[in-house]
Amino acid sequence: MKPNGAWNPYVAGGLAGLLGVLSVLLVGQFFGASTSFVRTAGMIEQVFGPERVAEMDYFIRVVPQIDWQWMFVFGILLGSLVSSLTSGTFRWQTVPDMWARSFGHTPVKRGVVAFCGGVVAMFGARLADG
Amino acid sequence: MTTLIYGLVTGFLFGFLLQKARVIRYEKQLGALRLQDMTIIKFMGSSILVGMVGVYLFYDLGMAELSIKDMITGPVIIGGILFGLGWGLLGYCPGTSAGALGEGRVDAFWGILGMITGAALFAEAYPWLMRTVYTWGDFGKVTVPQMLGINHWLVIPVVIVLVVLIFRWFEKKGL
Repeated sequence: MKPNGAWNPYVAGGLAGLLGVLSVLLVGQFFGASTSFVRTAGMIEQVFGPERVAEMDYFIRVVPQIDWQWMFVFGILLGSLVSSLTSGTFRWQTVPDMWARSFGHTPVKRGVVAFCGGVVAMFGARLADG
Repeated sequence: MTTLIYGLVTGFLFGFLLQKARVIRYEKQLGALRLQDMTIIKFMGSSILVGMVGVYLFYDLGMAELSIKDMITGPVIIGGILFGLGWGLLGYCPGTSAGALGEGRVDAFWGILGMITGAALFAEAYPWLMRTVYTWGDFGKVTVPQMLGINHWLVIPVVIVLVVLIFRWFEKKGL
């Protein structure tokens, strides 16, 4: 353990690897996250036009529904929440410190870039089937 | 239903480990991209080594299936470049954005909305991409051992040695 309470990344990473092996062995599920964003997009679009979603090739391949991976991603949020609350490292923050040093403290500017980055990153992740 | 609970529990434990190792922070993600702080690479590398040995071990014992992705050169290269560009702007990847929101980093929320939008745009572009980019350099579902035509237990030790050497170099450089 480092003085700031952070776990050694080799140890934590190794444990995460072990968790991944157990998941494959017991449930047959490999870790992943980006497919869940497709399912979420599909579920939102279904509210406005279910007929259109039903005819789209990609939503036929990746069915918009809650599955193992969707719960896995939601679990990451909860695990991080509990870990940070119990170790006193939870902090509401709209602009990361490193960002603020270069680009200032404006939450809107950070929000717009984060949103655009998210659009590009997810398009790329889906294209490469990551 | 049981599968969903497994997903939630596995995600919870994974998110707990990610938060404890501090790898979901913007500073750590950008630190790696700026070649200043290799914490996330140490986490990922260790995870890959354990996962690689474990999964192949249970695969050989007939207790696990592999999940091999298509190796299509065009979309992998273009997708990789786009992902890197977006990752650098956002500062979180898809999985860690959920974890970052969990420890109170509100900017990750805008990233998550962006990623849902990006997924929707991809679904729109998919028929066109299938006719174009997805036809560029398709090698099908292949692994490195298959391409080399050798047993995977000959490749695994080489990967372990290479990753450990990279780790040692990180430690020597204080990264």
